[in-house]
Formats: sequence, C-alpha cells, structure tokens
Amino acid sequence: MEGDEILMQNIKNILTSYETEYVEDYKKVWIKTKLEKSSDLLEVAKALQENGLRTISTVSATDFLSENKIEMNYFFEDILTKRNCWLKCDIPREIENCSIDSITPLFAGADWHEREVFSMFGIKFTGHPDLRPIIVSQDFYDKTPFRKDFDWDAHEENIVENMNMIAESFANEEEENEKKLDPHGSDTILNWGPTHPASGPIRLKVHCDGEDVISIDPDIGFVWRALEHLVTKKDFIGAIVAVERLCFMDNINSMVGYCQAVEEIAGVEITDFAKYMRVVLGEVARLSSHMMGMAGFYNAMGLHTVMMWNMDMREFFLDFLESYSGARIATAAIEPGGVRYGLQPNMLMELQSALDKFDKTKDDIRAIFIKNPTMKLRAAKLGIITPDEVLDYALCGVVARASGVKTDIRIDEPYAAYADIKMDYVTQKSGSSQDRLIQIFEEMEQSIDIIKQAKKHIEEKIESGEFDPIKDHMVKVPKKLPKGEAISRVEWARGEVLMHLVTEDKATSPYRLKMKAPSFNHTMMLNHLLAGETLSDIPLVFGSLYICQGDLDR
Amino acid sequence: MLRVFDFFAHAKSESLWMAHFCTGCCSLEMAAAMGPRYDWERYGFLPTPTPRQADILIITGLVTKKMLPALLRTYAQMPEPKYVLALGACSFDGGPYNDSLAVIKNPTEILPADVFVAGCPPKPEAIISGMEEIKKKMKKGIPSAASQGGLWREMKF
Amino acid sequence: MEMLFHVVVFPGLLYVLLWTVALFWFFRKFMAALHKRIGPSFNGPGGSFQTLFDLSKLLTKESITPKGVNPYLFSMMPLLAATIAMLPTALIPWTPTITVVESQYSLLGLVVLIGIEPFLLFLTGFGSDNKYSFLGGIRILTQMISMETSFFLAALSPAILFGTLSLQSIVEQSTWLSFWILLPGFGLYFIALLGLLEQPPFNIPDAEQEIVYGFYTEYSGTNYFLLKLAEFAEFMAVFAGAATLFLGGFKGLFFESYFCLFIKMIIVAVFMMAIRASTPRITMKHMLDFSWTYLVPLSLLNIAWIMLAKIFIFGAVS
Repeated sequence: MEGDEILMQNIKNILTSYETEYVEDYKKVWIKTKLEKSSDLLEVAKALQENGLRTISTVSATDFLSENKIEMNYFFEDILTKRNCWLKCDIPREIENCSIDSITPLFAGADWHEREVFSMFGIKFTGHPDLRPIIVSQDFYDKTPFRKDFDWDAHEENIVENMNMIAESFANEEEENEKKLDPHGSDTILNWGPTHPASGPIRLKVHCDGEDVISIDPDIGFVWRALEHLVTKKDFIGAIVAVERLCFMDNINSMVGYCQAVEEIAGVEITDFAKYMRVVLGEVARLSSHMMGMAGFYNAMGLHTVMMWNMDMREFFLDFLESYSGARIATAAIEPGGVRYGLQPNMLMELQSALDKFDKTKDDIRAIFIKNPTMKLRAAKLGIITPDEVLDYALCGVVARASGVKTDIRIDEPYAAYADIKMDYVTQKSGSSQDRLIQIFEEMEQSIDIIKQAKKHIEEKIESGEFDPIKDHMVKVPKKLPKGEAISRVEWARGEVLMHLVTEDKATSPYRLKMKAPSFNHTMMLNHLLAGETLSDIPLVFGSLYICQGDLDR
Repeated sequence: MLRVFDFFAHAKSESLWMAHFCTGCCSLEMAAAMGPRYDWERYGFLPTPTPRQADILIITGLVTKKMLPALLRTYAQMPEPKYVLALGACSFDGGPYNDSLAVIKNPTEILPADVFVAGCPPKPEAIISGMEEIKKKMKKGIPSAASQGGLWREMKF
Repeated sequence: MEMLFHVVVFPGLLYVLLWTVALFWFFRKFMAALHKRIGPSFNGPGGSFQTLFDLSKLLTKESITPKGVNPYLFSMMPLLAATIAMLPTALIPWTPTITVVESQYSLLGLVVLIGIEPFLLFLTGFGSDNKYSFLGGIRILTQMISMETSFFLAALSPAILFGTLSLQSIVEQSTWLSFWILLPGFGLYFIALLGLLEQPPFNIPDAEQEIVYGFYTEYSGTNYFLLKLAEFAEFMAVFAGAATLFLGGFKGLFFESYFCLFIKMIIVAVFMMAIRASTPRITMKHMLDFSWTYLVPLSLLNIAWIMLAKIFIFGAVS
C-alpha cells in the first residue's frame, strides 16, 4: 500500500470501530460513512480530529419527510494530506427530540454552520456556546423554514405584521444597547452597515471605545434569498438560475459545481471540449471576480483608482462572456451535460483581446499598487491569519493560500480539464492583509496562464478536427434523475464551494441542495481579527478577506 | 405665458447624486456604470457617501425583508426633492427570486419608483438611460412617485 | 468704491465662488483622467457647467436639521466656517497692486486664519449629534494639533529668511536663490498642507469607508454648500499661501501679474491630485507617528537650516 492509502485506511479503521451502516470509498479522496447512533458523533469527530481531519467544511441537514427523519451530513477535511470524510447520521424529526451534540467545542469552524442548521431546521445542538438564529430575518426566529412541511402561504399571510416586527426588533435592539452601555463611559456601539459606504448589505455591530474596537458581532442575512430552498421549486436546468446568483462576481464556477453534482447522479460524462470550455469560462469569471476583489481592498483605503483600472480590464473579459452567452454577468452558460453554447471563432478573438489588455496593464498595476509603500505600511502587519487558524476555521481559497496553506481544489481533486493543465499552488507566507492582496494579483496571473493553455489546446484540437466546436458542447442529460446524492467541490474565486445535492426517485427537481460558500467562514473570523484594532482597520480587513455578501447569505 | 428659463430647476435635474446603498446584485453593474467604459460622471451623476446629500435612491435589485427597514430609513433621510430608481426585475416583481420566501416581491409598491430599468441585471447603458429618464421627469416638474403615495408611510422603519 | 469691488468681486465673494466652481470641475476632470475616464462632459464645454449646477442644486435643496441637535450651533457653524475660510483672500498679494488689507503682519493673519478652520469643522461634527460625525470631529482635532505645528514652522521659514512678516515684502524680496533655500521648507509645507486640507493620505477625518463622511455626515442642502465653499476657499488660501511664501507669488519669468500666481496655485493643486489618485489613506496612528517623529523634527531642522542659510549664503549675497 502507498502512503496515501495507509492514511485513508486509518480513517476507515477509526470508523469501523464504531457501529456504522456502511463505510465506503467515494470518489478518490473521500470516505463516506453513516453512523448507526447519533450519540457516537462526538467521539467519532474527536477521533477523526486526532487523526488529522481538523477542518469541518460544513454541516448540512436533509429533511426526509416520508421517512420521518432528518439526516445530518458532516464534511470533515484534512487540507494538508487531502483526505476527506463524509459522515452521516440520522436524528428524529419531532421538534422536541430533534437534537444532536454540537461539535463546535472541538471544531471552531462549525460554529456558524450549526447556527445556520438550527435556524433553518430547528435542530438543537446541545453544548453549542452561542446558539442564536443566524441569516434568517426576525420573523423566522423559532420557526423551521427549510423543513418540507413548513407552510409558506400561512407565513406570507401575516406579511405586514412580520415586517413591522422586523422594524421593531431593530428599534428594540437600539434601546437595549443604550441600557447595556455605561452612560458615563466612552464606549458605544456603532452599526457599520447596511447603509455604510464600504459595507455592502451586511451589518457589523461594532462595540468600540473611541477609535478602539472592543468586539465585533456581524449581523448577516440582509441579502438572504433562501437559494437552497428556491432550487427545490425549479427543475434541474432552471435551478442554475438560482445557483449562479450565489454571487454574480464569479457565477460560472458555482454553476460548474452544481452541474457536476447533477451529472454524477445522472451518470453522464461530458465531452472533452466542454471540459476545456468550463476551464476557460471559469477562469474568465475568476479573473473578473479577482479584479473586483483587488478593487475592494483599495476602496477600503479610499483609493478608487485601482477599481477604475481593473474595471477597464474587466470590461474586456465581460465582452468575451457577452459574446459567448449574450449576457455580461448573468450568463447561465454552464448547464448539466456541458456548456450551453458552441464556440464561434469571433469569441476567441474577444478572449485574445482581453488577454492582451491584461498583459498591457498588469505591469502598471504591479508597480503602482502591489508595491505601494503606503499600502504596505497599513496592511503588512494587519489581520494576520496563521496556518493553524486556516485549518481550524475552515478558511479556503485566497485567504488560506495567503497564509501559506497549500490548498486548491483544482489540484487536490481535479475537475473539468484541470487534471491536464500545468499549474501549481500559488502561496504567500505571512497571511497578512497585504499578502492577501498580492495573492489575488498572483492568482490573476495564474488564471491568465491557465486560459492561455486551455485556449491553445482548444484551438489545436479544432484545427486537427478532434473538437467540433458547434456540436460537441453538450451531451444529453435525462430530464428525470434517479434517487441519489452527490457532492461536488470546485475552487471558486473566493475558495472552496461544496455542493451537496440530494434527489428523490424520478426527480425533476432537486430535493435538497446545500451550498457551502467560503465567505461564511471568513466572516466568522472578523471578531477574532479585529478585536483590539482600530476603527480604521475594519474596512481594510473586511476588504482583504474578500467577502461577498451574496455567498455569505445565500 | 412667457416661460422663463428656470436656472435652479435645470441645475437640480442636471446634477443627480445618488445615495451609496446596495440592496442586491445589481450594484455590481452600477459599479460598472461608474467605471471607465460607461463613466456615468459624464452625465453629472456622482455617488455620495451619506443619504443627506443624495437626490436619488437606487433600489439595486432585490430587497429582502431584513433590508426593507434600512431602505425606507435611507429614503426618509434624504432631502427633498428626491427620486427613486428601481433596477432589475427583482425590484419590480421579485424577478428570479419570485418564489423565494425571504425576498419582498413588490418593493416598489411599498416605495414607488419613478423609473424602472429592465434586466437581470440591467446593462450599464440601461442604468444611465434610466437616470436620464429621471432627469426628464424633473425637468417637466413631475413630482416623485414616492411623494404621491406608496405603502411606506404606513410602515414602521 | 474700489474697496467694494475688492470685497464683492475680486478677490472677494464672486472670485471665491468662481474659484470653487472651477477648481471642483478641474479636480473632477483631472481625477477622471487618472482613472482612465472622461469625467463631466455633457453640460457646457467640457462639462464645465457641471459643478455650477451641482453647487446651485445644493443651494435650493432642503436643508435638514436633525432631531436632537442644537439648531443654532448646527446651522451657524457652516456659515462661520465659510466666512473664516474666505478671509485670508484679503491678505494675499494677488498682483503687485492688489492687496486688500495691507499689513506688516499679514503672514501671521494668514496662518492663524488657516489654522482656526479645523476647529470650526470640529464644532460642526460635534454639533451634529451623530456618532460618526463626532468621531470625525475628534479626528480632525487630533490631526489639527499634530499637523499645524509643522505647518506653522514651515510657514515661518520665509519670514525668518527675509526678516519680515509682510507677505507683500516676502514676494518682493524673493529670488531664485531664496527659492532653492526655501525648497525643503516648501516640501514640509506641502505635506502639512495635505494634512490640514484632509487630503489623501491624510483624509482621515472624512474617511468614507470608516466613518461615513465624518463631520459632513448630517449636513445637506445649503449647509453642505457652505461647508463645500469653506473647503474650497481654504484650498485657495493654502495654495495661494504656498505660492506666495515659497514660489515667488505673482512674480513670473517675464512679467508680474495675477496669472503667474494662478499657475503656481494650479501646480500645487495638480501635485495634490496626483497623490490623491495613487496613495491610499493611512490611519490615525500612522499619521501621529509620522507627524511627531518625522515631520515636526524635520521642520525644526529646517528652521535651523534657514537661519544658517540666512547668515552664510543669503546674507553674503545681499
């Protein structure tokens, strides 16, 4: 046995020592298992953690109404050795008995994920230190919006009372703050958002004393669209409309993740041409997102020039997307079975002009904004995230790699055509805000390199006749899918996106789709990073964590 | 009747500053409209950091239940005369989130908009042309829709 | 009659208004060019009416007085700030003949009037009954204390060199030699000017991303117009001060006129805008660090240099 297999065997040995329904290999890097008793969870989790699976990617619940049970899914990851474990267990569905041990004391990263499950399904996590509702608006407190038997129409009837209740709860909160604070003290609570110029739709409750930040409590859910519930009302193709609205900055890769899950359940293999197109489109979307990410970082320091220059470049990449799909942002270009459209020669010309534009501008940006001394003064020692914190809080993508952790789903678990593309981990050392900016810029250069490789490959194959750019883009996926479930991970612009798709027999629409999006974990870090800093550092750290409220709230 | 060129009314309509407030994804295209290719500053539009100096409130796409009080409060904080521009399908009928439980399907019934811009999200050109429509309304002296009615007066915020 | 002309037209009220409109437009156009944009372009030639419309609009918009403020303080302060900011124009020698108030101590008047301005802006923030405004007010006060020390010291260097506090006489005595001697002083003045005018990297008091708009947050309509006017009038006073003290004022290579002074002021403005387009904001901590560990000691060294230069170089020549 090779080293990797021994490590995987370790996980199996742990799992088989408990009562399980099954322990099986899933894909290359996953082990899937189901516990007989939910009371074993804490012990199993502890054993897995000691074995190196320190990261909990997400906690997801699926409500099976007909079988009268709720199935919990835990996704443990070992980022360093690339081993993953998908753990399931059943818990009763009745709201009184619906509880399970919290793993937050062991895994700090599970905190908000468990709160989310609590607010959506009403599952109580015993031992959770701070089990308050999250994401949902105040009218859903103590309700179970994502359960299959929740009566929407009845809830919608009271919309006026609900709206007034939400407004009142904001006013009450303000009054409570007034009471809580010492009237003679100098500390106060600032609402940083949602109308704040730099915040976007999020509210940080900043408890501060003059300029010094004491603590931060993020209040999220201002753009909660309940996408995970919305997809269950649509068919498999219609669902991509909801999936791509996870965040508009990089919508292609989220669609890729969803479509891979559908294809896995349907048992469909897509064409090589479609795989390469997914790489090209995905990297273009990643670039356009990274450009906004860089802009967000500098906007936080009151400098809009970067935003304008990046916007100038970004328009050329959006031109390519527009020529391909007809839309600048809401492309809906990926579909289960491949990519939606064929490739015309003029589209590649648009792509080439975008690449040229980037090559022309990047030196200026590097000289003026990446090596900027004032930026270094502010950001070099601010918001430092250590590799240990990356593993504990399940941070991913740009933030994780800036701390020097080698994680990239494109290499760890290659999808689309990434297995054939030459690429390596791009990492920084210190994990400060400055490193995150440099990381974004270097990843942009990497993306350009990947696009060039994929484009060359496509052009060569078209010339040799192996790819038919008009017909090859799609294979047929049946309208009705069999019963099954699948997970698919993609490296999104902001990090790992995990899609957990469950279908019923002869399903025409998803039964349950869980989307794990990176900003959720990153926002969890805000209090940790900013307590003790000053007010001026809030926008900078917030901007450097590359948070998008779209995938924060979903 | 002799119509005198009303300088101040003209100035008001030609200088529209908007409150920096994003409720949804259309704000991404609003940022693109500020960018070099579309550059809405050519037409005299300028974002301001505080609603106190703003003339237009832009509903950038969807409005969730949690966001609505903040939206109405921002509107109430703006000085008269103030106009509302609604971007995207979401602000008209919920758009792609019409089935969703957390999104308000008719934010413009609560806060009536003067001009709707179609699209999901609307292209930057469309946003600029929507703003030009507001200019026309102001030049004709048509009062803003939200000052004429809407449910927002009866709501708490 | 002549005095009335000076007060109302040049260099009085109308001139300040015109300057505000023109400089606002120039800033926006210049910023846009650095952003690879075009900037205002459809109102008037090159969009030059745009800022006129903007400011006229502010005059006719509703001026909101928030609940819970002292209405007297709230509406008085912008008016006072605008008035005080316009006063230094009377002290500047605009042409060889036009100086509205000729005084032996006009330099003193200039720096004191410029120096009092941040305090008035602090009061606007203090009187707004808004947490963000108050934070902005506190920040402007902190910045004022640390930046004005070096501003005063830098403005003092020509006075020491020429042995006079009269701006008129400073301009008359200035030569190419004195320009080179005063160059370090000009650098310090320029840095302190950025701090005093709240320009990047020292735009800490009205940092949009941190404290919304600082002391401007609650102001609307006419009050905001007055604050904007105060800001631009202060620009004028500080730029004209820089040109007069260090760059030879109305003196030019070939002739002496207002035009030469104007060009010099615009050069200072362009430098300021270039920094604005390429430098992010620093924090309060860094500003204090920078000011007290580098700027103030350097200003003191500069005074020593001026004294030495006066004895050994300047004195020897004249």
